Amino acid sequence: MKKLHRLAAGALAALMAAGLAGCAPDDGTVNLTFQIWDVAQRDGMQAMCDAYTAQHPDVHIQVQVINWDEYWTKLEAATMSNKMPDIFWMHTNEILKYADNGKLADCSDIVDTEHFSDISLSNASGSDGVLYGVPKDKDTVGLVYNKEMFDAAGVAYPDETWTWDDLVDASQKIYDATGNYGYMAYADDQLGYWNFVYQAGGSILTADKTRGNFLDPGTEKGMAFYIGLQKNDWCPDQTYFAETSPGTAFFSEKGAMFLEGNWNILSELQNYPDMVGKWDVAVLPACPDPVSGDGRATISNGLCYATGANNKHLDIVKDVLKFFGSEEGQRIQGESGAAIPAYEGLEDTWVGVFDAYPIDVTCFVDMFDYCVQSVNNAARPEWKTPVSDTLLKIYTGELDLQTGLQQMQQEVDTASAEYYEEDA
Amino acid sequence: MQKTSKLSRDGAVWGLVMVAPTVIGLLVLNIWPFFQAIYMSFSKSLPFGEFEFEGIDNYVEMFSNAEFWKATWNTILFCILTVPVGIFLALLVAVMLNSKIRGRTTFRAIFFLPMVVAPAAVAMVWKWIFNTQYGIINTMLGQNIGWLTDSRFVLLTCAVVQIWSNIGYDAVLLLAGLQNVSATLYEAADLDGASKVRQFFSITLPMVSPTLFVVLIMRLMSSLKVFDLVYMMVDDANPALSDAQTLMSLFYRESFVAGDKGYASAIVVWTVLLIGIVTVIQFIGQKKWVNYEV
Repeated sequence: MKKLHRLAAGALAALMAAGLAGCAPDDGTVNLTFQIWDVAQRDGMQAMCDAYTAQHPDVHIQVQVINWDEYWTKLEAATMSNKMPDIFWMHTNEILKYADNGKLADCSDIVDTEHFSDISLSNASGSDGVLYGVPKDKDTVGLVYNKEMFDAAGVAYPDETWTWDDLVDASQKIYDATGNYGYMAYADDQLGYWNFVYQAGGSILTADKTRGNFLDPGTEKGMAFYIGLQKNDWCPDQTYFAETSPGTAFFSEKGAMFLEGNWNILSELQNYPDMVGKWDVAVLPACPDPVSGDGRATISNGLCYATGANNKHLDIVKDVLKFFGSEEGQRIQGESGAAIPAYEGLEDTWVGVFDAYPIDVTCFVDMFDYCVQSVNNAARPEWKTPVSDTLLKIYTGELDLQTGLQQMQQEVDTASAEYYEEDA
Repeated sequence: MQKTSKLSRDGAVWGLVMVAPTVIGLLVLNIWPFFQAIYMSFSKSLPFGEFEFEGIDNYVEMFSNAEFWKATWNTILFCILTVPVGIFLALLVAVMLNSKIRGRTTFRAIFFLPMVVAPAAVAMVWKWIFNTQYGIINTMLGQNIGWLTDSRFVLLTCAVVQIWSNIGYDAVLLLAGLQNVSATLYEAADLDGASKVRQFFSITLPMVSPTLFVVLIMRLMSSLKVFDLVYMMVDDANPALSDAQTLMSLFYRESFVAGDKGYASAIVVWTVLLIGIVTVIQFIGQKKWVNYEV
């Protein structure tokens, strides 16, 4: 009887232990995991991996998609338990946190720097200026507009001669003629006020990125103009945007214009087939009287491919990353329509994908001439939320613009002071 | 003599083996993290799960932060809005479902349905119902009320959805309590000529009070911990965000958006204290109204 007990208990324990044991293949092949957050780019990424496997039959790469909301929570947990995916996308929002804490492998020896712009390289670098990723893509922000509404109001389509004044005039005329909203200016940074701040000659951070720059006259000019747009009848207010995003409003034909990143254009064409042909995209309007500069700017961000500093197969993974950053790898990415390759000279591979649609996306590529690197410093995760909360308070009128800007300045400075103490 | 003690020792060992999975699970997944959270609340959090002990700084920062007090008040207000009304309605539904009406089983199933639906799905549907421009409520009223964007209404709107989601579950618990009430009590009351209302207050309510107490405790705890509903219904671009932000939403933002897990742990410890105090008050108060005699 007692024996039976022992046996049963032993079986129970064995059963529990079995759950913990893993297994590793030992036949020379290497299986790598590749984590991304955009399901629309899965096929493009898989095509790139397949091309690598075709050249190196021993290496198999599995693409895993984890959506944006969970991506960073999971990656952080994986980092803490030393179980990072072999290859993963890295975003400028987070790269400094990972790079500056020594979690990413140095990639300087596998990136052919002459083929990438300074902005692309900077977006893949840590605070120490070392490359911790292989530049993947680059993006810009354009002005998407509804052609039918412009026609109905008898207004010429936006082009590179447009200034802020034209944006306001056209919005008013469209509102008067059709009753639809004009330009929809909502509380967003990359797809909103950042662009206007840089057009006006201001900036969000100081040149060395160690402090905020919200009290600069150019910054204030851009913010005042952008936030003020919601006071017009032709622009919905923030309570509207809390329930209806500008994209939703645009594609349900409630508004004529909004700012959109090039990375969303392809899926919008696919998701709104009835709207295809009714809309197009133009470069951003310029500031007519900037405090400094020529009034032109658009925010440009870029992702990179990265790997963990302690990866078991670092040599193999770096060879894969090198391929991802090569002309061949970047061409496959561009031709899949996934994103504009960071590799200079391959922009047209992405543009070519849109030949099938009645839309001209070359403006996104044209804007690289005067694009501004997406705003970032090591403290951004800490000041991002407070700054956007303060922006909402300016919109609701709880704070006036001046007080609000001072508060944003303080929020950025307080958070940044922890990271850039010596410069204070 | 010895035989018995050996047998009972053997039984005890088996007992322990049998409860081990649960106990180990509780220790590893609940108890240990709880103590860790307390430790973290006294620490400065560094990236990637590293902590550095720093004393009460997080608490000093928390208690001097207006946003924190606002969230505490919102949480308490949310309880005041949801718990009494919610339990009253649940009791009403339970009494009705306990009476002899046609299609009683169908109604029971219908009232329980919200419990089966994922909270995220519930929130998405209600978001549409309350939408300012296209929502069915404003369309019916012919109004343009910002149910989810006006700072005066946003918490009330969330409370309505919370009550709706929980009525069925609470009602089923109360129904179980009601069915234990012996029919002879009502027969006796009928003979004595007591009205239905009198029967409810003199028989039903005292007899169901132990279940009511359990429901009250559970509901208060879950209202103090409300997160998913508010998180789903009020997003970051909503100007009324600060009027709907509960302690758990604030915790989420500090912990997972801003990455300050030390400060976020202090918020959690505060919430645990709050729940503890409310529960203790209830256990003292129950002596006055909960009837454990059958």
